[in-house]
Amino acid sequence: MFPISAIAGSGISAPGLQPGMGAALPQLPMGEAGTFPIDLGKATGIGMPDSTSGVSHPSFHPGITGTQPSDDAFSKTLNNFVQEVNSKQAAAGDAVSRLQSGGDVSLHQAVIAMEEANVSFQLMVEVRNKLLEGYQEIMRMQI
Amino acid sequence: MIDLIPGISSTTTALSAERTRLDVIGENIANANVTRGEDGKPYQRKTVVFETALQQAVNGGPSMTSLQGIKIEKDQRPFPKIHKPGDPDADANGDVSMPNVNIHEEMADLIAATRAFEANLAVARNAKTLAMQTLAIGKR
Repeated sequence: MFPISAIAGSGISAPGLQPGMGAALPQLPMGEAGTFPIDLGKATGIGMPDSTSGVSHPSFHPGITGTQPSDDAFSKTLNNFVQEVNSKQAAAGDAVSRLQSGGDVSLHQAVIAMEEANVSFQLMVEVRNKLLEGYQEIMRMQI
Repeated sequence: MIDLIPGISSTTTALSAERTRLDVIGENIANANVTRGEDGKPYQRKTVVFETALQQAVNGGPSMTSLQGIKIEKDQRPFPKIHKPGDPDADANGDVSMPNVNIHEEMADLIAATRAFEANLAVARNAKTLAMQTLAIGKR
């Protein structure tokens, strides 16, 4: 988002980017060409022009908000998945410590809890690998 | 996310059950000559009774019969009597009541319980190998 709007703001015509697309991207004042004070606190959030501070940010199309998808179904799924893997690891550690101290957990229960934790962790690693592969595949695409 | 390793929940309960059986057999053999236990009577042999219950189908899989209860009950067979007149536990006729533990029976039960335990261990080991191999499908 940043590079495209910055290029349009400085007046260079980027191929494929039509100023007529959506709202017009404002030109940056030439006096400030080359300096783009990017407020990192706002970098990940909605990019709105901050006119009160006297510093002009590259402004965005209001429709392209770039908010964090807080109630996105997929990120929720991933979160739940990681929580469950974590709980299995915790259960395994708990079983081993109870075996060593108290003994209301038998040996095979502790071993099986550890194996379950191991398999679920491997599953998480495989999911991560697949996601990375997909991401790299997309990044390899020619624009 | 329930069990990633297939069938591990029923295997775990079976291992617990066989372990209880082994514990009980060990106790029986250890107390095979105890003529005066608690309440003054000879040691009474214990047996293990397994109860199964039908579990509802989980996640669309088949409904499993799995172990629900492990009960330890006392063997009600009569105590054998041995004639030992000088023994402190002898009764008026000089007979001593021995525990109703038959060592040969216990040894046979021990072998059966050991094999059952090992069989369940083999199931658990194989199931884990299958799970890891399934995960390796996606690996390059």
